[in-house]
Amino acid sequence: MSGQLLSAEDVPTDRWLSSVQHARDLGFDYFDWLGCTDDIGRTDTFRVTVVLRDLADGGLRTRMLSTAVPRDEPVLDSIRTVFVGAGWHEREAAELFGLRFTGGDGRRLLLSPTFEGAPLRKEQVLGSRAAVGWPGAKEPGESAASPSRRRMVPPGVPDRDVWGERDSAQPPAEPAEVAASTGGGRVRRRSR
Amino acid sequence: MTGHGSIVLIEQNCTSCMICARECPSWCITIDSHTETVVDQPAGARARTENVLDRFAIDWSLCMFCGICVDECPFDALEWATPQALPARTLTALTHEIPDLSAH
Ligand code: SF4
Ligand code: SF4
Repeated sequence: MSGQLLSAEDVPTDRWLSSVQHARDLGFDYFDWLGCTDDIGRTDTFRVTVVLRDLADGGLRTRMLSTAVPRDEPVLDSIRTVFVGAGWHEREAAELFGLRFTGGDGRRLLLSPTFEGAPLRKEQVLGSRAAVGWPGAKEPGESAASPSRRRMVPPGVPDRDVWGERDSAQPPAEPAEVAASTGGGRVRRRSR
Repeated sequence: MTGHGSIVLIEQNCTSCMICARECPSWCITIDSHTETVVDQPAGARARTENVLDRFAIDWSLCMFCGICVDECPFDALEWATPQALPARTLTALTHEIPDLSAH
């Protein structure tokens, strides 16, 4: 970044491609980056953001566009017909957040072909973290964590009431509930 | 300027609060501690206990030198140091205990 504050222009998903095209035609013809964030817990969307620059003025003029992609239908037009290099960023966002870019390059970028899941979705449970001993599970003054009283969970592992030891009579937890409980920290006993 | 070659533990500042071990993204800090009753209390004062550090270890084979532990310690018990953690022939030898982690 060049030190100035960027504020994103919010664009409806169906105008994503045309808005990017329009910005390029206005002179923002250098693609800087495209990224995605998971808005779960606030809204049921993923936010896709792109930053474009106008190199004529030393690259200081920037345009940031962003759009909210619905979680239950995470599909967005690819902008790689406008900026070829964006295809690479879209592949990364697609595999990490489980998005689909219409007209994009559907190949994986970083993950192995057999990997299942979308690792940067906040409800993604880091299962292997639940299976090995976490050094932070001990309380101050302890030299061994008592497994029967798991009071602290590492980031990425939900409370056991939500995942792992969930009451089998209950339906699996909603993604938002899983995401809310994977921040790590003290296990909150849920009031029933 | 202090380099980022290794992290030292200032043992007398550490309260065994576990914050660094919980915040470390690489899970490479291991702490053992126990509680003891404080002896020199003024007469009539309520009995108090304190945590006593038994073991503090950093596994340099896992550490990614992010500095989160240094930032998070509320008691200034962890500090960056310039000398690099020494290489070793085995992975287990890269786990450094309190004497290895004390300021040089
Ligand atoms: S520097 Fe980072 S990885 Fe290394 S011990 Fe500290 S928190 Fe862990
Ligand atoms: S955060 Fe500081 S005081 Fe707490 S256990 Fe770690 S080194 Fe000790």
